[in-house]
Amino acid sequence: MADSEQAIEFEFDGKIIRAKAGQSLAGALHAAGEHIVSRSFKYHRPRGLFCCTGRCPNCLCTVDGTPNVRICTAPAEAGLVVKTQNAWPSVKFDILSIFDRFHRFMPVGFYYKMMYKPRWMWPIWEKVIRRIAGLGSVDHKRGAEGTYDKVNQFCDVAVVGGGWAGLHAAVEAARAGLSVTIIDDQPDLGGHLRCDPDLADPRLPDIIQSVRENPAIQVWTSATVFGCYEENYLGIQLGKRMIRLRAREVIISTGGWERPLVFENNDLPGVLLASAAQRLLALEHCRLDGSAVVVTDNAQGYRVARQLAAAGTKVAAIVDIRANQPATETGVEILSGRTLLAANGYGHVDSVVVGDLAGKSQRTISCRWIIEAVGFTPANALLYQNGCKLQYDEACDQAVVKTYARATHSAGAVNGRHEPEAAALEGRFAALSAAVALRPQDSGLAAGRDELKSQLDALPLGAAPCAHYVSGSSAKKKFVCICEDVTEKDLCDAIVEGYSNIETLKRYSTVSMGPCQGKMCQSASIAICARENKQTIGETGVTTARPPEIPLPLGLLAGRALHFSLVRRTAMHDWHLRHGAMMMDAGNWKRPQVYSTPEEEYDAVRNRAGLIDVSTLGKIELRGRDVVQFLEFIYPNRFANLQVGRVRYGVICDDAGILLDDGTIARLEDQRFFLTTTTGNADAIDSWFRSWLAGRPHLDVQLTNVSGSYAAMNLAGPRAREILKKLTDADLSTSNVPYLAAKQFTVAGVSGIILRIGFVGELGYEIHVPSQFGLAVWEAIIEAGKEFSLVPCGVDAQRLLRLEKKHLLPGVDTDALSNPLEADLPWIVKLDKPDFVGRRSLAQATARGPRNRLVGFRIAGGQIPEPPALVIHNGKLGGRVTSCAYSPAAGCAVGLAWVPSELSRNGDRIEIHVDGHVVTAIVQDEPFYDPTGEKLKS
Amino acid sequence: MSFQLDCPNCGARPVWEFHYGGASRKRPEATDQAVTDRQWAEYLYNRPNICGEETEWWYHRSACKLWFLARRDTRTNQVLETRPFVPQEAAGG
Repeated sequence: MADSEQAIEFEFDGKIIRAKAGQSLAGALHAAGEHIVSRSFKYHRPRGLFCCTGRCPNCLCTVDGTPNVRICTAPAEAGLVVKTQNAWPSVKFDILSIFDRFHRFMPVGFYYKMMYKPRWMWPIWEKVIRRIAGLGSVDHKRGAEGTYDKVNQFCDVAVVGGGWAGLHAAVEAARAGLSVTIIDDQPDLGGHLRCDPDLADPRLPDIIQSVRENPAIQVWTSATVFGCYEENYLGIQLGKRMIRLRAREVIISTGGWERPLVFENNDLPGVLLASAAQRLLALEHCRLDGSAVVVTDNAQGYRVARQLAAAGTKVAAIVDIRANQPATETGVEILSGRTLLAANGYGHVDSVVVGDLAGKSQRTISCRWIIEAVGFTPANALLYQNGCKLQYDEACDQAVVKTYARATHSAGAVNGRHEPEAAALEGRFAALSAAVALRPQDSGLAAGRDELKSQLDALPLGAAPCAHYVSGSSAKKKFVCICEDVTEKDLCDAIVEGYSNIETLKRYSTVSMGPCQGKMCQSASIAICARENKQTIGETGVTTARPPEIPLPLGLLAGRALHFSLVRRTAMHDWHLRHGAMMMDAGNWKRPQVYSTPEEEYDAVRNRAGLIDVSTLGKIELRGRDVVQFLEFIYPNRFANLQVGRVRYGVICDDAGILLDDGTIARLEDQRFFLTTTTGNADAIDSWFRSWLAGRPHLDVQLTNVSGSYAAMNLAGPRAREILKKLTDADLSTSNVPYLAAKQFTVAGVSGIILRIGFVGELGYEIHVPSQFGLAVWEAIIEAGKEFSLVPCGVDAQRLLRLEKKHLLPGVDTDALSNPLEADLPWIVKLDKPDFVGRRSLAQATARGPRNRLVGFRIAGGQIPEPPALVIHNGKLGGRVTSCAYSPAAGCAVGLAWVPSELSRNGDRIEIHVDGHVVTAIVQDEPFYDPTGEKLKS
Repeated sequence: MSFQLDCPNCGARPVWEFHYGGASRKRPEATDQAVTDRQWAEYLYNRPNICGEETEWWYHRSACKLWFLARRDTRTNQVLETRPFVPQEAAGG
């Protein structure tokens, strides 16, 4: 509320403005006599407050560096810096307003006609236009302030619009036992009644209070529903938060937007919508000093005139478009059957020209304000978005719903119910309709709804407002679209040029494509289109309503949704951090990339021992009578002959024979298998197995994803056995735990699954223990390994170690065209098995022979090609390098590359493109380290 | 897309909890000599892309990990029915 003792000071284009508490920035500027707040998009005409509800483009300013803020809904706060946009040097004197004089040379679509030849000029024109036309600019140095977030909510009934109809709908729905969310884009509930004291019902504060206090009703004010998506999924902007609301039923009670009248110079500062004047008087504690002329065709105009008079404004005349109205009302002259032809003034209205509907009998009345009260355009975009079918209704001069989409209702002015009693009734009816849809068995609800329906049917739709758009002098600036500076003449010209359909007219003239998204110009542009095409408004139709309904900051769409971005940490995560590990992302997981240097860690594994955290591997347990049959079907290799206590490498292919993933398959018991997948594919392989099982419910196979249940670590190196021996009583001899053994025994007091495999090419044990003991076992191994100079190793060292063994990484060394025959794994495909996934395609590929092959190569020189360096064959692209690094074992660079099959024999020379020159590499069949596997099996 | 699917285990959930598995189709037996290469390629690379009601596989990846069948109108995204797979139907992958 206004309190002059608590004055707030803010800056407007370098000038200090004093505001009262509770005022918006725009209200304070109005009170301070600052009536020009922006310049128009194309002609740089002065513009002042017009709608005062946060919808028209006239009050867009840059506030504290944030461009395009509607200052009429931004509360005045001390210290804010408000700057005007699109004007130079200032909004009061804008040199670019010279364009206003040259409008003849800038007809509708002028850039299509004048700037397309010569073609090379267009980028230059584009820059010029961008500079001259437009809105605020983003301060790239500053960046966005604060954080945008996303919130998910749900409710039984969402009521969009907290006016008289919406309030009654919310109360009725809550009374029916439903959870309700009511959303309004204004700072308080009450809708239009907030600022029209003659309409306001004495019960308004009570119902607002009962809504706010009702625990079943969630209230969001200053929040805009910008889109209604499938199945009542509402996108809502609440400041820097995007609320995604799932409602089982939605009630649209969005009311309407007051529509402007089209006359010459109708964009002059001083021309106000009636509701804007009411807001300035009732909510902003402002006055409209001087005299005003009210133009109207309904009761709203007379109410505004009374309110203005009460606030001290001299009402010079009421211009009533309807014929045969009484000549005076409380001493104010009424000009019946007349309309406005032009506003005069420089920078502000100083007089208005009134005439009859044919443009004759002109008379000039001097005034400072022109108040337009010529009816409302229903705010029905959300109804269209939800799939409701609407039809123009002559009787109430607006589109009304003919068929509702599923779970969608509407009430109030959006339906043409302008009278408060009718709106309240319809709000309650909509609420009970929603309740009946949710509780069809409750006969009381249906009876209540039917009772309201009969009362409602007895009431006629609201009195028909019918704005008359006068076709008059053709050359002057009668603005239809104040966002994009589109005049009535522009629309007429575009229609003459053939853009007569409302959709093409919109695209060609850009009418309704500005920041207000048609809220100010929709009804006038349709009326003009209808008139020029000699159609009815119903035949003319409307442009398609698509989300978003208001301009949204990109930050809102890009905002955080933390609860959907999973971060996974292994049981040893904190230990890694404490020991200086640099962490990297591996899917959702965090993994140690390196602790000291990859070289030191490599050296430890090859000569002593290293410990690698491999908890991130996907782990799946399969049990059941038919597990072997299922594995035989899923994998190209054989598992029927895998003995209990043994582990085997396997790859998974799809039905096209493409290699999806690799891993190990251990047989722990006769009908119990323990599988690992790569880190990145853990979820995909889980889903893959389940998909094949879903279609084969007769198979007795139980799948358990145990990825998170086990922590895993790979103890590898020549001293690995000695270290492990200190922690277990199990016999670790080669006869008991040979290479590719899969055993279960106790390590450091914890029973685990121990796989003797050698991804890094050394004697190694992959130890899986329950996650809660992961850290304890890890620390025990580190402690036991101290005397052997064991070190923890990261992914970097592991990658180099495996590369020396020519072990491929799916997704790194293979892609969506790689099959195992070509990816150096032909031995794994057992075509003598009956049907398995990929069999037919792999049989075809075998018959066809390999086209490309994944091979190992070494480079004698010092160069290390960076993947994906290209392999050149006969002067053309022949393949690519997928992995490459310097190998201490080979003493040169080694790698893996896809090459044409004719270059894939041992000793073939391949040419690799490195930094603009060609390097020769030699194909090598054998692994670069320990080719006989002697160390692996030791 | 913001429609919901009625998971046979978990009830109505938004579509982004699920993974779309494609239309349910019969997989030719890969060892069946009666299946020509052309028919196999058809199965691998051609999707029916029905405009209308389609029976599809969906996977509830964010929750219970069930693969189930949904009958959906591809024009309106209205899900008409969801159910687990019953043998003797076309098994897909």
